[in-house]
Amino acid sequence: MFKYILKRLLMSVLILLGVSMIIYFLIRLMPVDFIQDKINAINQGGATVSEETVNAMYEMYGLGDDSFLGILKGYFSWLGALATFDLGTSFVYGIPVAQVIFEHMGISFAIALIATIFEFLIAIPLGITAATHQYSFRDYLVTVLVMIGISLPSFFFGQMLKDVLALKLGWFPASGLVNATASFTGAELLLDYVRHMFIPILTIVILSIGARMRMTRTNMLEVMNSDYIRTARAKGLKESVVINKHAFRNTLIPLVTSLAGLLPSLFSGAIITEQVFDLPGIGNIALDAMNRGDIPFIMGYNMFLALLSVIGVLLADLMYGLVDPRVKLG
Amino acid sequence: MENVTEKEVIEASAPQASAEDTEVPLDKNVRLMSPTRMVVRRFFRSKLSIVGLIMVVGLFLFSFAGPLIYTEWGEIELDESGKTEYSVSETSYTVDGKEYTVRQTTEKSLKDNFLAPPSSEHILGTDNEGYDIFVRLMYGGRISLIVSFIAVFLITILGVIMGGIAGFFGGAVDNIIMRLCDILICLPGIPILLIISTILDASEIDAKYRIYLLMIYLTFISWPGTARLVRGQILSLREQEYMVAAEAMGYSVSRKIFKHLVPNVMPQLIVSMSLSLGSMILYEATLSYLNLGVKAPYAAWGTMINIISTNQDILQNHLNVWVPAGVCIVIAVLGFNFIGDGLRDALDPKARR
Repeated sequence: MFKYILKRLLMSVLILLGVSMIIYFLIRLMPVDFIQDKINAINQGGATVSEETVNAMYEMYGLGDDSFLGILKGYFSWLGALATFDLGTSFVYGIPVAQVIFEHMGISFAIALIATIFEFLIAIPLGITAATHQYSFRDYLVTVLVMIGISLPSFFFGQMLKDVLALKLGWFPASGLVNATASFTGAELLLDYVRHMFIPILTIVILSIGARMRMTRTNMLEVMNSDYIRTARAKGLKESVVINKHAFRNTLIPLVTSLAGLLPSLFSGAIITEQVFDLPGIGNIALDAMNRGDIPFIMGYNMFLALLSVIGVLLADLMYGLVDPRVKLG
Repeated sequence: MENVTEKEVIEASAPQASAEDTEVPLDKNVRLMSPTRMVVRRFFRSKLSIVGLIMVVGLFLFSFAGPLIYTEWGEIELDESGKTEYSVSETSYTVDGKEYTVRQTTEKSLKDNFLAPPSSEHILGTDNEGYDIFVRLMYGGRISLIVSFIAVFLITILGVIMGGIAGFFGGAVDNIIMRLCDILICLPGIPILLIISTILDASEIDAKYRIYLLMIYLTFISWPGTARLVRGQILSLREQEYMVAAEAMGYSVSRKIFKHLVPNVMPQLIVSMSLSLGSMILYEATLSYLNLGVKAPYAAWGTMINIISTNQDILQNHLNVWVPAGVCIVIAVLGFNFIGDGLRDALDPKARR
């Protein structure tokens, strides 16, 4: 077991190296030029910047050489800094990248966590009823509804909810995280947060319920067809006991495993949803950084996402072995 | 599927014994059905798959035949019939203690008939530029459908080849291909697409073709899913007797992979293809919504919704501009999902229904 984990971890490091190389080269090919924008801003202010200063600035930011070897050099200096746990300093914010990520991760994490909890609370009972009443009207209704949820584009559905619930009915604020004009404290502030986060969370929950519900349904159906369920029924157990005690436990296995796979999405932020509702989460910040050519931040953010998905896959495999004793890792 | 030649006995209309007594040929008493026909029958038995099929076929007709029948407006044809905009301003003066209000009405004549409400001339009205929305929906559908079909086609080919090779040869080849898959799967989707899109912006590629290039990138990062599926299947199929037989017959490697192994993965492949068609349409729409995919003046469903992210007035008061495009996306994705689901049930030999 220990050897297996060690092997997987080593493999993960290699994967991340490959990922970082691809991302770094792509980013360096981006035509967005932070230095040029900065110089333009200075020029507009009336001052002029000499050629030497410009070159010195490029050198300082490590962007002097755009040839293949220059980019390769830049990559290795980035990698060298990473070895000392330094992701570099964000061009735009002027503070370490890790700090920027950490500061904006909280809001994304809160939204994703609450959404995931609701997703499981709603999807699992729906999946179980659909499975126990297979091919009934109820099954079809639930299946069709969640399929519509899966098929909705997040930006379209988000805008629709915003239009109806926020702009037309005025029940909730349309965007942002806090009411900028009022200064709340304590319980009122919390309520304000809840009101602002309601529609984004509702959007995410409705869009993601489908996958979870169908997973529950498929697994439940599989378990319901197994011999021990027939035995349980033959013993004369009540149907509710058969479903909730015997069948549901085995249905949980893939659900728990999928929980580990969900880990990355908890921290990575939902770029589209955050953009639609103008939330200051990590996804929205990254979108902004991308437009402004903040190379260290984009690099750090993408590597953060890659790291999360590597950890997610690894955890899912480990959890599978942990939850289901029939599975042997090796 | 087609490659399985043996017939399956489905229903016996008469007991076996009586058939022998009267010496009627077996065919007369027993209905024979090929597995393909069985799958087709099971597929059409589910109402949802029929609904999905109708949705997808309907959208295809709408987008490809539509512009040929309804030729009033073109994709990038502005309605220049003009529009008059009125604005009223009030100014109050106080003269000698009395209050006077001067109401001024300005009439402004504009060249383009933009944001026109639905009428007989424009079935769904016009957008903020003055393009006919109904017609742009058709052209947007063309792009979405073509692009996602190309992407899924390429993903499948690449996935089958790589997965087939990895699964068949195993060892070092398998290891290299699978690690490549691991790397590609870890690449963050949307952020990298954003980066590539800005690179494309600078390279001055025609607005019409950039979406194809982005979809090629999507293909490049999406094939590992298919490759893993194919590899997993082939690993288990490789050990079966008929493969030993194929070995004994001295067949070439490519024949063994693509004639004997891959056809047996087809059922799973078809299901995953129809489901990924839906997700590709969503991807394309999202890219266009972020203004990365199809750019103005060309139409795409996502691009048609993009306008509301900056224009609150259209979001609230001109639903005819953006809601139809969203409905089209939902119909397309839902249709492909229903078909995929129906196919999964129909192709599953364990399902008894």
